[in-house]
Amino acid sequence: MTVRKFRSYLRVILSTFEMTLRQNVLDGFIVFTVLIQPLLIALLALWMLQAKSGEQAIYVIVGSGMTGLWSSLLFISGNSITAERWSGTLEVLVGQPTPIQVIIFGKNLAHVSQSLGSMIVAYLVSSILFGFHLNVQQPILFILSIFLTVIAFVTFGLIIAPIFIMNPGVQGWQNAMEFPVYILSGFLFPIALLPDWTTPFSYLLAPYWAARALHGTTSMGTPLAEIGFSLLMLIIFSSIYIIISNFLFRKMLYKTREDATLGFQ
Amino acid sequence: MNAIEVQDLRRVYKTTIGVIRRKIKEVVAVDGISFSVRRGELFGVLGPNGAGKTTTVKMLTTLLIPTSGSAHVLGADVVSEADLIRARIGFIFGGERGLYWRLSGQDNLRYFASLYHVNPDDSRKRIPYLLDLVGLTDRGQEKVEGYSRGMKQRLHIARTLLHNPEVLFLDEPTMGLDPVGARELREVIRNLQAEEKTILLTTHYMFEADALCERIAVINHGKVVALDTPKALKNLVSDLSVVEVEVFGVSEEILDQLRQLPGVDTVSVEDQGQKQSLHIHTAHGSEAVPTLMNTLQAVRVGGVSIREPTLEDAYVRLVGGSS
Repeated sequence: MTVRKFRSYLRVILSTFEMTLRQNVLDGFIVFTVLIQPLLIALLALWMLQAKSGEQAIYVIVGSGMTGLWSSLLFISGNSITAERWSGTLEVLVGQPTPIQVIIFGKNLAHVSQSLGSMIVAYLVSSILFGFHLNVQQPILFILSIFLTVIAFVTFGLIIAPIFIMNPGVQGWQNAMEFPVYILSGFLFPIALLPDWTTPFSYLLAPYWAARALHGTTSMGTPLAEIGFSLLMLIIFSSIYIIISNFLFRKMLYKTREDATLGFQ
Repeated sequence: MNAIEVQDLRRVYKTTIGVIRRKIKEVVAVDGISFSVRRGELFGVLGPNGAGKTTTVKMLTTLLIPTSGSAHVLGADVVSEADLIRARIGFIFGGERGLYWRLSGQDNLRYFASLYHVNPDDSRKRIPYLLDLVGLTDRGQEKVEGYSRGMKQRLHIARTLLHNPEVLFLDEPTMGLDPVGARELREVIRNLQAEEKTILLTTHYMFEADALCERIAVINHGKVVALDTPKALKNLVSDLSVVEVEVFGVSEEILDQLRQLPGVDTVSVEDQGQKQSLHIHTAHGSEAVPTLMNTLQAVRVGGVSIREPTLEDAYVRLVGGSS
């Protein structure tokens, strides 16, 4: 890829990011999914933890924020191509020179980034309303973890969206996919509490490594090597997702052009 | 080199029917059409609903893969070299969709300009120019959801011109517009023609095709039934006159009787609410009127007039007078 092309794509990602955020601010469903629902989960968990220490509170804040990230990814990023199809813009997007993956990347980046807002709100509620003293143990690694988590979630979204449009039947399972991932990824409690046979499934999920990295950087006593390994896994998973998504997008575009399903008939 | 080359292009849609015992049904939308469009030409594709106009445009704009045949735009193949084509063409499909309604017209253009890799400096100059060209300067800051259908159509035109494409595909751009909006849009198309852009325009409005196009391909049931200049197409019916009869309730049986009369070429019916207007193409001109009236004895008749044939009459002859 030439530098000029890279800059063009970067501009597309940024303008898609901006355009998506501006549209989402006005969408009640999106505001609920990325802000209200994770906040409710955080409030419930914080009430239950009122008698415990602040260290567990930060676990809850990070965990509830991650529920927002996952819900946003599953419901909003997963539907990102379908939504364009329904609004009649998918044909326009496919018929222009920028690869559609680049556009969907920008959209997913906006969806996932905005859901980080729920983590900030939960942090404020926790310290102001519940009076917890909150410390992030490894602030620099925490920011790096957030960045790699966002990338991993965005690239995961690049896989889900074409699968949903090629297989509408799979999309029907969206609701059923929400809570198992919360649990298997250890968002709100460690996966050590789950039966042993579920552990391999957790290892196959990028959200698990993201949760491990974020919980590790906010908690005391997590070895740096463990955090580093989680970050490495996030990079590996993101790379794999990009490779798979390129294949899926090519397949999806050919199939939709062949089946005449780009536009909503 | 021609801007557009189409050779034996065919497109078949497959749909399933039935719930338990599903069957695949094939519908031939475009059935082996061939034509070419010169650079700088405004070429019309004329045909009734379902004739295959939009399918043809979608194949040429790389949005649909042909079942067989070939199509080249600016020398590039629409299937294997789609990426080469997309940066050099613009397209609009009739209707209001395809825009981001929660954004302003100006923001829509700014976003699409980035997708077409228009340099930000150029984009800042071009967007006000295009908004002015399509008459939306005063409303550019408003959200698209508040636009009328005509305004959305004009915004589509502006969108498609952002990257200054060499070839434009306009699929029924005036569909559903009020007469003033449609006239303004035709004026924009004329201006584009003056800029020597290659334009492929589909429409089912005869006067629009007559007024704008240098050559017209008439398609029906997916096939090209005529391809010529509007003048030459009109000559196809120069031997005929058109008798227009206003009637109130006419049966298929009487229409069939009219079609059997000597000298009658085609009979078409246009519904106008309570009444219908019969367009009878006849070689006998005014002499045919007494015979026609005799056949219409049982029907309440309003006015009768005779006129010279138009492109619409040529079209009716080509696609059949049953509509």
